[in-house]
Amino acid sequence: MAAKRFTKQAYASADEMVFGSSKSPVSYGFGIKAGAGRVIPELNYGPRPGSEKDPARLKKEYVDYISKDAILRAVTLGFPDLQLETEWVSQMGQTKMAQPVVEGQKAICEKYHEEYGINLAVRHTVPDQREAEEGIRVGMNGKHAYPEALFNAAEVACENGADVLSCETMGGKELSDYATTNGDIVAFLFGVGYLGSMDMEYVWSEFCNICKKNKVIAGGDTNCAGANTSMFMAGGFLDNDVQRTYSAVTRAISAARTMVANECGATGPDKDCGYEGPIIKSITGMPAAQEGKNCQCAHADLQGNLMAQVCDLWSNESVEYHPEFGGSSVQCWLGALGYEVSLMNTAAACGKDKELRDLYMISDRFRGPEGHILAYDNAYEIGKAIAAEGNNIYLRAKAAGLTAAKIIKRSNDAKELQLTAKQADVLADMIKQLEALPSEEDKFVEYCVKQYKDVPNFCMKNYGL
Amino acid sequence: MIDYKGANFDIVLKRYDVAAQNQETPESVAKKMLPADPIFKKVAEEVLYMRFKTVGPVVAEALKERKPLDVINNGLVSGMEVVAKLYADHIYYLPEIMMAAKTMEIGIALAEKQIPGGRETKGLVVMHAAEGDPHDIGKNIAAVMLRSSGYTVTDMGKDVAVDDVVDEVVKSKPFLVTGTALMTTTMTAFPRVAKKLVEKGINVPLMAAGGAVNRDFAESFDLGIYSEKAPQTPPIADRIVKGADWKQVREDWDDIVGGI
Repeated sequence: MAAKRFTKQAYASADEMVFGSSKSPVSYGFGIKAGAGRVIPELNYGPRPGSEKDPARLKKEYVDYISKDAILRAVTLGFPDLQLETEWVSQMGQTKMAQPVVEGQKAICEKYHEEYGINLAVRHTVPDQREAEEGIRVGMNGKHAYPEALFNAAEVACENGADVLSCETMGGKELSDYATTNGDIVAFLFGVGYLGSMDMEYVWSEFCNICKKNKVIAGGDTNCAGANTSMFMAGGFLDNDVQRTYSAVTRAISAARTMVANECGATGPDKDCGYEGPIIKSITGMPAAQEGKNCQCAHADLQGNLMAQVCDLWSNESVEYHPEFGGSSVQCWLGALGYEVSLMNTAAACGKDKELRDLYMISDRFRGPEGHILAYDNAYEIGKAIAAEGNNIYLRAKAAGLTAAKIIKRSNDAKELQLTAKQADVLADMIKQLEALPSEEDKFVEYCVKQYKDVPNFCMKNYGL
Repeated sequence: MIDYKGANFDIVLKRYDVAAQNQETPESVAKKMLPADPIFKKVAEEVLYMRFKTVGPVVAEALKERKPLDVINNGLVSGMEVVAKLYADHIYYLPEIMMAAKTMEIGIALAEKQIPGGRETKGLVVMHAAEGDPHDIGKNIAAVMLRSSGYTVTDMGKDVAVDDVVDEVVKSKPFLVTGTALMTTTMTAFPRVAKKLVEKGINVPLMAAGGAVNRDFAESFDLGIYSEKAPQTPPIADRIVKGADWKQVREDWDDIVGGI
């Protein structure tokens, strides 16, 4: 199915956006309704090292330990909803490893839904192991046949009990890695904004077919491979390998790419680690899964509160299963997640959701440029720039990056958002570079193919060109 | 939106990054560190200011007046030493390191052509990202840093099978093997590599690194040593070259990586 481009925003104003409510709610699993008036906690986990050794051990880890522990803790604490997310470990690329886990999680959700009435669902996020050097499209005859394995994994998930299908696709990573290590925003625009969007269309058209055939919700994607790499390398106040102004602009560009899943038919909820979610929600109106303060088990970032502002599912990103004083790790982190969600839903029930949204947002609005551009009013402004150029994947990604850069500059000029001298220099340079790019797609591609021809593993054939 | 104008954000947030900005510039640091000899200084400045398009002609000119090994050590490497200082002082960042290293490598390649038998390397390092793991940006950065510190690197890439790593080590006999992993389920490849190496009687340090790996894990199996981030790799390699085995590196680890 060809992608149907978004050229308008779903929301008439930024203020319309709030956590727990989306323009297009989605129902699935055992009673889960995403974006329908309340936030759902989404728990993600990793099995202990060694449990991936055989199918029986892996199933026991995911189903009998992790899922059971989490669901019973949710019941213990009175949480009405819980979505589980299983991000497949690479070994689950083998059907014999994956199938028992998918079937087992479906069965345990059904059991406890029937027993306690708790609303439950499982998102399965299949692994994208494709490597640019081997070819990232089906039939390119790579040693590992990873493109074929990707679609096979989606089939296995959907045929055996997934409620939601997601993926963290890797298209354009050879260029985004180069871009981030060399501070080259044009390479990022080309790799993620342009080629990444093409790869998204290739992958998600097929994912949506698989989901439709199996009556599974096509959730969505995330630019974890690109924008999260730059965000994590930019790090916190003691790190700075990559400038946070660069990281913020890559985030905006990634929104134009990640929303392609929705243009191919995905309905949301999209992936928690896609920090571009607020921008995408402003355009698609579809439920957004997000993470922040309650994902410190996985990583730290500078917008822990802010990311809750317009979420529909609230996630812990991932925690390895292990014992803690308060129970297993999944139980402890679900407790933190669930109580945060409870606070949001209490605010909604009392008609104070917009006030809480604003407090979440203001607390991190000036912590750094990455959070600043994702503050819902700024995210909406970036969404507007994307939608205005919605029919052209190059122009909209460029518009996203340039708008984000100018928002940062505007706030810095107004002495609201502080920047280091280096961050400001990099910002000025990015604005100059993005403004100098041609307005014609073919000229941009011609320039980039020449400019980046020596980037390791870069091959236009991977993108059908 | 709630009106936040006038709110006291000092009780919410402290921008340590803004407060800790270094007031020095590349020029002021370079003034103290660049070689006095004008020919070497010119070569060093090519690296310092990342002029990868012009480093070739500048090195070619220098080679008419100076010995190739001196152009490398007193010019190109001197420039990289200033870059390393700027990086340590948070004046330069990763992109500058990458571009300066690229510039230096262009210059070294030119100068090496005039050294019979090539330049002596400090040693060979075999690097890989773990089997099943497609994340290799950290390895790639560490490889650049090792090369610019004078080491030779065999980069096996990402998603490398355990047996392939072992075979490469047997074949090329490096003094250090590195592996990176982002996932806890792929980092389990490292003890398997180590076990097979031990079974073959090979006592080479295996550096485990990457987002999923911590020091405790890296030191939980024989041969295993840890690197938290890419810039720590060259000083650890230096210590091994000076004679430390994997047990000694563990003992001295905090001292070796210091404030890096």
